[in-house]
Amino acid sequence: MIVIDKLCYQSKLRYANASEKFVYAVLTLILCVISRSVLTAAVVFFINVYLTVAKGGIPFARYGKLLMIPAAFLLVSTVALVVNLSRVPLDAFAFPLGEWYVTGSVSSVLEGLRLCVKAFAAVTCLYFLSLTTVVTDILGVLKKLHVPGLVIELMMLIYRFIFLLMETASAITTSQNSRLGNRDYRTRLRSFGGMGSALLVRSIKRSGVLYDAMEARCYDGELKVLSEERPAKKKEILCIAGYELILLGLVIWSWIR
Amino acid sequence: MMEEKDWVVEAEQLSYTYEGNEKKALDGISLKFGRGRKIAFMGGNGSGKSTLFLCMNGILKPQEGRMLINGSPVEYTRKGLLDVRKRVGIVFQEPDDQLFSASVFQEISFGILNLGVDEESARKEVEEVIEKMGITPFRDRPAHALSGGQKKLVAIADILVMHPEVLILDEPAASLDPKHRKLVRSIVERLSESGLTILMATHDVDYAYAWADEIVLLHEGKVLRQGTPRQVCGDEKAMEQANLELPAVMRLYRQLLRRGVIGPEGEPPKTIEDLERRISG
Repeated sequence: MIVIDKLCYQSKLRYANASEKFVYAVLTLILCVISRSVLTAAVVFFINVYLTVAKGGIPFARYGKLLMIPAAFLLVSTVALVVNLSRVPLDAFAFPLGEWYVTGSVSSVLEGLRLCVKAFAAVTCLYFLSLTTVVTDILGVLKKLHVPGLVIELMMLIYRFIFLLMETASAITTSQNSRLGNRDYRTRLRSFGGMGSALLVRSIKRSGVLYDAMEARCYDGELKVLSEERPAKKKEILCIAGYELILLGLVIWSWIR
Repeated sequence: MMEEKDWVVEAEQLSYTYEGNEKKALDGISLKFGRGRKIAFMGGNGSGKSTLFLCMNGILKPQEGRMLINGSPVEYTRKGLLDVRKRVGIVFQEPDDQLFSASVFQEISFGILNLGVDEESARKEVEEVIEKMGITPFRDRPAHALSGGQKKLVAIADILVMHPEVLILDEPAASLDPKHRKLVRSIVERLSESGLTILMATHDVDYAYAWADEIVLLHEGKVLRQGTPRQVCGDEKAMEQANLELPAVMRLYRQLLRRGVIGPEGEPPKTIEDLERRISG
């Protein structure tokens, strides 16, 4: 999460209009998921990688590593889909196991592959958004979409304070380590509990002071803030519209085929 | 002497006790400050500085006594408080307690929007203060990637964007590196020159002595001494009671005077530079 946050602030696409990026990512995601053809997913995958890595300037190795995170989950669930336990061997592969076979059909193997590609493509849509668009910008878009203010305010505060919480937690852990607080299992448990309670107490104190500080700035129950807007570019909008239309065409083709 | 109506902040017999505490955090404090003055608050932790500041901007309501801003008592209604908080701004000691948004721009826009300014002018004001405070080089960075000094500048900008008449700074130089300490102090100087009344809590005797027009010594919720830096720092008993050392330049000056290196004519020097000039004649 921290890695994604850091990379995102360095992306060359960071200053592109946030609504554009948001609409692009969401539309592409929807089209990719509802399409029945692998071709759509493949196109989505490569275009997203191109945009995030080549245009956004995210190092390819970093991006690859990030993709590996969902890959593990994906492979496990695909295996569950493809591999069957049956008394009769199926057509793709079959390993005897006593009277039973560990087996799979060609169609399920193909289905599994298709699902894999599709899921990867969907992940690249989300990665595109999270690696080019800063959280606070996304909140600005959500506000335009009339997401309830309370939800946005909570997201804003959580995003800000999660870093402080982690900073504090790591400082406490360091100080515990420097006093042999993690010597064995027992002390580890005790240290962890101690850190938890220290974090809770500090968080409550902090929230009190934060509230005072907000009141001192005339807070009256609504977190009013301005977002910085980057102008949307006509050329970019046209490109996105054209691309989504092509994808839509592919989707329709995959349905009627 | 100043006209009575020129008192910008006035406390009359102010007392405040935190819930569940026996001891009064503020115990009958009476103070008044003229417009455009530089006032340093000194005293140990728990002497009541922060509590007093919170009373000045209506966050805390004193149980006894009253607070006056521009000669009129603070009204603890929605409108009254809005008015007071618009006039009196507090920069909190720990920027991490004050900055609630990860975006510098959003953060600074909060105060001005709360004043009911329309978006267009608010945007302009925010841009202006970002420029004025030298925040431009790091304005696009998230709050968690800013250094302590940078966060401090944003915290000050938070308040300045609201154009207060009184600026309260709670230990602004604490835990800053020398570069940012200098920067923050030069900003404070500039603000003071522009006519802002500045109330600052500090533990730095030398700085308070050189900078302030007035020093207030607080001790256990009471005013131990109020006066010009020379009066307050010259009162060795009061300084000792507040656990404060005398300013270095004052100690040095007294020694030099005693040894006859320099003559007693003229005002005692306020800074080391002043003293150097005196010695070299």
